[in-house]
Amino acid sequence: MNTSVIRYILGHVLKIEGILMLLPCLTAIIYREQVGFYYLGVALASFALGQLMTFRKPKNFVFYLKEGCVSTALSWILLSFFGALPFTLSGEIPSLTDALFETISGFTTTGASILSSPEAMSHCGLIWRSFTHWIGGMGVLVFLLAIIPMSGGSHINLMRAESPGPSVGKLVPKVKQTATLLYLIYFGLTVIETILLLLFGMPFFDAITTSFGTAGTGGFGIKDNSIVGYAPSLQWIVTIFMILFGVNFNAYYFMLFHNVKKALHMEEVRSYLAIILAAITIIFFDIVRIYDSVFEALTHASFQVASIITTTGFSTADFDLWSQSSKTILVLLMFIGACAGSTGGGIKVSRFVIMFKTVFKEIRSYIHPKSIMKIKMDEKPVEHEVVRSVNVYFITFVIIFAVSLFAISFEGNDLVTSFTAVAATINNIGPGLEMVGPTQNFAFFTDFSKFVLMFDMLAGRLELFPLLILFTPSVWKDAIAEKKKLKKLEKSAS
Amino acid sequence: MLGINLKKTSEKKGLNIIIVGCGKVGVSLVEQLAKEGHAITIIDKNPTKVQEITNLYDIMGLAGNGASYSVQMEAGIESADLIIAVTNSDELNLLCCTVATQVANCAAIARVRTPDYSQESNYLREKLGLAMIMNPELESAREAARILYLPTALEVNSFAHGQAELIKFKIPDGNILDGLSIYNLDQKLPIKILICAIERNGEVIIPNGNLTLTKGDVISVVAPRWKVKAFMTAIGMKNYRIKNCLIVGGGNFAYYLAKQLIHMNIMVKIIELDRERCEELSILLPEAIIINGDGTDQELLKEEGIVSVDSFVPLTGIDEENILLSLYAKQVSTTKVITKIDRANFKEIVSGMDLGSLIYPKYVASEAIIAYVRAKTNSMNSNEIETLYNMFDSRVEAIEFRINEESNVTGVPLKDLKLKDKLLISFINRNGNIIIPSGQDSIQPGDTVMIVTAHKGFHDIQDILR
Repeated sequence: MNTSVIRYILGHVLKIEGILMLLPCLTAIIYREQVGFYYLGVALASFALGQLMTFRKPKNFVFYLKEGCVSTALSWILLSFFGALPFTLSGEIPSLTDALFETISGFTTTGASILSSPEAMSHCGLIWRSFTHWIGGMGVLVFLLAIIPMSGGSHINLMRAESPGPSVGKLVPKVKQTATLLYLIYFGLTVIETILLLLFGMPFFDAITTSFGTAGTGGFGIKDNSIVGYAPSLQWIVTIFMILFGVNFNAYYFMLFHNVKKALHMEEVRSYLAIILAAITIIFFDIVRIYDSVFEALTHASFQVASIITTTGFSTADFDLWSQSSKTILVLLMFIGACAGSTGGGIKVSRFVIMFKTVFKEIRSYIHPKSIMKIKMDEKPVEHEVVRSVNVYFITFVIIFAVSLFAISFEGNDLVTSFTAVAATINNIGPGLEMVGPTQNFAFFTDFSKFVLMFDMLAGRLELFPLLILFTPSVWKDAIAEKKKLKKLEKSAS
Repeated sequence: MLGINLKKTSEKKGLNIIIVGCGKVGVSLVEQLAKEGHAITIIDKNPTKVQEITNLYDIMGLAGNGASYSVQMEAGIESADLIIAVTNSDELNLLCCTVATQVANCAAIARVRTPDYSQESNYLREKLGLAMIMNPELESAREAARILYLPTALEVNSFAHGQAELIKFKIPDGNILDGLSIYNLDQKLPIKILICAIERNGEVIIPNGNLTLTKGDVISVVAPRWKVKAFMTAIGMKNYRIKNCLIVGGGNFAYYLAKQLIHMNIMVKIIELDRERCEELSILLPEAIIINGDGTDQELLKEEGIVSVDSFVPLTGIDEENILLSLYAKQVSTTKVITKIDRANFKEIVSGMDLGSLIYPKYVASEAIIAYVRAKTNSMNSNEIETLYNMFDSRVEAIEFRINEESNVTGVPLKDLKLKDKLLISFINRNGNIIIPSGQDSIQPGDTVMIVTAHKGFHDIQDILR
């Protein structure tokens, strides 16, 4: 394994984090908050460390999928650790475990919080929380690819390890341009949302943090009661943008540069919109009796559906009080998640589309045992390799889910709480039901359970395998053996 | 807005190129062109191959039939500057290019190998509106023929429309060049030549005046064409004329080579295993002796005179066989050997063996295309690349620039130009006169200038300046 290139990438990630942390520093200057100095300190420290790590350029830049996965997983862990430091140092979240939980929840765009009252936080703490969503949404390595010139073509492996979806392709032939395009679309949509929120009367600070939360499909609110306090018009804007950020970004690329028709014909996007529409309709009829007006019921139904399926996790209503069937639909939506290639989490609509088609194919093979049928998506045959990886992904997902559920069951909470806590973290949503419901938080868990949930959040965001590879002994054995061999070679050479 | 901006930047940095076919030539094109910053989309019928190559290089891949209109549209033919069709089917390549030129305003290069078409390649090129028809075997055969024309050289390339030649040879034991510094070269030799690159112990050196030549160095020399033979005699390298050639394997390469050699009055003998092919060859090449038999059979080779023949060229389809045959020929005789290698894997090992001159048809093909791409990239600029050669396993490039207008390199004595390291101006071609330059000479508009350099990716004559 090429360890020096991993070190180099990690160094760059730290440098970028150092630069990005200047945003809370700026906020601290505006609001004249003392806490800002901690952010400045950590920013400088991580930049300095990054500079140190990138000081020596690696001899060869060649790296394969495994290096891509390992550096992605390590980057995210490192990123979260440094991101958590200011919370603990400033004393706003005294326990390091809690701070780590909050930061990982931020970067993985989960939005599960251990804070009972975000309003008690400083402005710079709040903006950093929300900003982690924005950074984590599109991915920090994609950002790295967009700004740092790298030679060789193998860095598609980095993008593949970080971007969600069963098969990651490029929009244009060059990785750098693809990454730049993705970030441009991402940035553009965020700016549009902020402007719209401002136009409809949201204060500037709230508009920015809410946009960050929506764009990354994160869900950290800056108010104790999330989005409830805002006017319905603002809630609708957030609803629409949540849905927009859950769409495969390729669709926007097609809309901007090719033809709108192709974008609208993407099977995944169509299924995604169909699921949303169906869920809203069912929940709307289910809850229309609870609310005063039809409009209010519709607002709440669509907001909650959009919030859950895109794995954002904002809330305008305590859906824990809704009927069992509505709650069940929301829990099911948690697992479906957003489209591949969006900023959302979950298992992804495209995987479900492929899995359903596999089931259909299997049924048909019972009726016509010798029939041959190739699974198609967007009128193109899906390679067997992709189908297989989708199936394996699902199985791995179920295993990790089951193990995590078992691990946190020792807490002695009821099954709904434990189940939805794991579901809400592994799918990067945020709130679950009962004790982890939209009006509650995750603070009551023991440190052990928090670490299990942190692992789930990272695994869910990085699509399981990059993180699992870290726990594969042979990867590390290889790395160590190779290092030793290189040293021996150097010795014999000198 | 964004679309326009993007297109502009892509124009500045490189071309949008579509390559159809992930074969040997396709991959080597991708390797080189991706390095030079072009935006490449590759199309192949085999999805696994596409997957493999997109994992290795920063390019986009597409599985499908490259000649189909919809596949080409998906690959972005509308914004492409160039399409290169290098699948293993000539007809498909031609069809790809024809479709592409009809759909979009882009240049097209097709690889066409069959002799049936190659005779009418100019006609095809014109009628189908292609930029270039590439025939790797024909180009390689031409190169092989050039080497056989000057058998003491390892490699012969021609520049400036054949006015100048670049020859590569090894300094033998006891040669007058051994121990001579480049500074003293002019005094010792009656003919003015320029040594532009030296390979010593696996390292390539672009020499300056203080360097001393030693035996075993492989040197590349530039000289006007009519002086080459005189130069070789002057340094005491016995320059015999090759009278006969033994070729093993009767493929297209062998056919093209035989044709060239017969034209040069060299007797050709071809050993081919397949009887039908032998009959075909005997019709196509009535002057050649066609032998039906196994070319890897030692007895047969001896019988056909491998010991006494002037030159030996194994051209079977299997690299390992070619290598073994060459090694055998080198062992039993002093004949001039040219070895053809199809696959570029293990190049370091191959170049370390004593195989005489090496020819990689795959590189011959891709070099010609890359030279075209470079010239096209540069077409907006005033200076154009005429030809480009990769020397010493593409560690050194020889580039011929055409100087169209005045600039800060023209009119200045060469000794006053601040040139980059590892770079040499090897000749100036002024109205067909080859000038081997000294410090007093200067570049003038209208000249073509050849630069030898270890730097990569020169596009403009300005690049030679520090």
